[in-house]
Amino acid sequence: MTIFQRVRSILFGIATFIAAILFIIFPDDGAYGWVIMTLFLGLTIRGLKCIIFYFTMARHMVGGKMILVQGVIILDFALFTGSISDVPKIYILLYLIGIHAFSGVIEVLRAMESKRTVAGHWKLKFSHGLVDFLLAILCMVFIRHQNTSLLIYSLGLLYSSVMRIINAFRKTTFILIE
Amino acid sequence: MQEDFHYYATYCAAFIAGYSHKESLDIAYSAQFVDVCSRTLLTKIRGPLDAATTQLKLELMEARTDPAGLQDITRIWSSFHFLPRDLLAEKKHCIKHYRDKFRLICGPNGDLVVKTVELAKGKALQSVGIAMHVLADTWAHANFAGTPSLVINNTNYVFYELFPDGESIKEKQIKFRHKASMPDDLENSIYTNSLYQSSENSIMNLGHGRAGHLPDYSFVRYRYLPAWGGYEEIIKDNPSDYLKAFTQMIYAMKYIRGDNDSFHTNVYDIEAIGQWQDRIKAIIEKRQLLASDDWKSFGEELSGETIEDFRIDKYFDEYIKSPRNEKNETFIGKFTRGAIAHKGMVIEEIYRTKNKLAGVARESFLAMLFKKDAG
Repeated sequence: MTIFQRVRSILFGIATFIAAILFIIFPDDGAYGWVIMTLFLGLTIRGLKCIIFYFTMARHMVGGKMILVQGVIILDFALFTGSISDVPKIYILLYLIGIHAFSGVIEVLRAMESKRTVAGHWKLKFSHGLVDFLLAILCMVFIRHQNTSLLIYSLGLLYSSVMRIINAFRKTTFILIE
Repeated sequence: MQEDFHYYATYCAAFIAGYSHKESLDIAYSAQFVDVCSRTLLTKIRGPLDAATTQLKLELMEARTDPAGLQDITRIWSSFHFLPRDLLAEKKHCIKHYRDKFRLICGPNGDLVVKTVELAKGKALQSVGIAMHVLADTWAHANFAGTPSLVINNTNYVFYELFPDGESIKEKQIKFRHKASMPDDLENSIYTNSLYQSSENSIMNLGHGRAGHLPDYSFVRYRYLPAWGGYEEIIKDNPSDYLKAFTQMIYAMKYIRGDNDSFHTNVYDIEAIGQWQDRIKAIIEKRQLLASDDWKSFGEELSGETIEDFRIDKYFDEYIKSPRNEKNETFIGKFTRGAIAHKGMVIEEIYRTKNKLAGVARESFLAMLFKKDAG
C-alpha cells in the first residue's frame, strides 16, 4: 500500500466513522434513504467491476469463476437493495439479518480454510465473520425497534471504518524476489 | 535465485568455462549486483537511474500501479528477473490485454535468452554477469511473469512438496503463512508467501510472490496449479532445473569467450562438469535455506583461491570518486551501461510484438544498445 493509498484509506475510514455516528445520533428517514442509495451505488459498481473483470481477464484464470459468482451475487444484492426503499422496515431488517448471517458464515468458513493452508492468517477473517454473525443476531434481538436497521447498519459501518484505519497502518507482507 | 547461485555458483560456472579467478569474481559480482542495483542505491552513488535492475521492497510498496507505473515495474522485472519465454505465444479466445500479459510469462530456452547472451558477447565482464543472472532466473522463475497480474501469477491451495522415496514419490501439502520476518520452515513445509490480493495489478501479484521463495530453493520439488494454465498442474523439479541452469551458463560463457561459435537453446555443457557432477548435484539437492557455504567451498577447491564474500559497496568509492568523463570505465560504470543496454533490448523486443506493457525503449537505451564498444 502506498502512502497515498494509506492516507486515502484513513480519510475514508474517518469519513465513514463520522457518518455512522451521525446516523446513530440522528436516525431519521433521510439518513435511511442515504444508506440505501450508498449501498446500491457501491454494490452496483463493485458487482459490475467483478463481472467485467471476469469476462475480460479472469475467465482464463484457475478459480476465476469465483470472481464471476462474486460479481453476480454483489450485483444481485445491489439491485435488491435499490428496490427496497418503499417496503416496510421489517423486510429490510430481515434482509439485513440474511446478509449478515450469510456473509458471517461464509467468512468463518473461509477462515477455517485459511487455517488449513495458510498459517497464522485466519484470525482476522474469523473475527470478521463473527462480527457479521453478531450483527445478524442483534438485528433479531432489536427487530421491534423502529430504527434498528439504521442502527445495525451504523454499527457495521463503525466496525468497517475502524478496520480500514487499522489496516492502513498494518505492514503488508511482501516477498522480495531475488 | 539467491546469492548462493547468483554469486557463488556463477563464480564456479565462470571458472569452469575458462575464466580466471579474478574474471570469475567480476562476473559473479555483477550477476549478484543485479539483485541489489535499485534506484535507491543508484541515487546514493549518483548513478543513472535508468540502470536500475531491481526494486527494493519499499520502492515497490510506493510504486504506482497506473499504466505508466506498471510499465516501469515491468521493464525492470521482465528484463532482469522474469525474461519472457515466448513473446509470440498464442492463447485462444482472449483479449489482447490478457494475451500481452500471458506472453510475458518467464521460461528458459526462449529467443530472448539467445539475444541476451549474444548481446553480452564482446562486452565487458559486467555484461556477462548480467546475462548470467538473467539466464539463471529463466529457470528458477519459470511460469511466472515480471508484471503484476492476478490472472497470471496467482496460485491456490493446490501446492504439494514432492519427496522422492525410492521409486515412488511422497507428497506433503505446503502450508503458507504471511510472515516475511520468519524464516521458511523446511522441516514442516511451511513457507512465507504474499497475501492474496483480488486486484489484478496489485504489487502482491508480481512474479512468484504468491509461491513464496519456493522457486529460489534449488533442492525443492513441488507441484501446483498456475493461474494461467487452464487447470493443468505443473511439476517443478528445481534440482533438475538448477543443474540445467548451471550447465547452460557454462555453455553460454564458453560462447561469449569465443570457445563455441554459436549459442543455441536446449544445449547444456554436461561434459564440462563431468568429474564434479555428483558434488554439484549434492549441493543442489541439500535441503537448506542458503547454499552459499557449499558453493563457496566448491569454488575455492576449483580455483585454489579464496572467494571473498559479496560486499555490496565494493566498487562504490571507485565510481563516486571518478571524474564524470571517466565513470563509464569504472566497474559500476560498465555495469550500468550493460544493464541499460540489456533493458533497452528487452523493452524493444517486447514492444516489437505490439505489446505495450513494458512501454517503449527511450532513445538513450537504444543509443547505448547500438553503440559498438559498450564494454
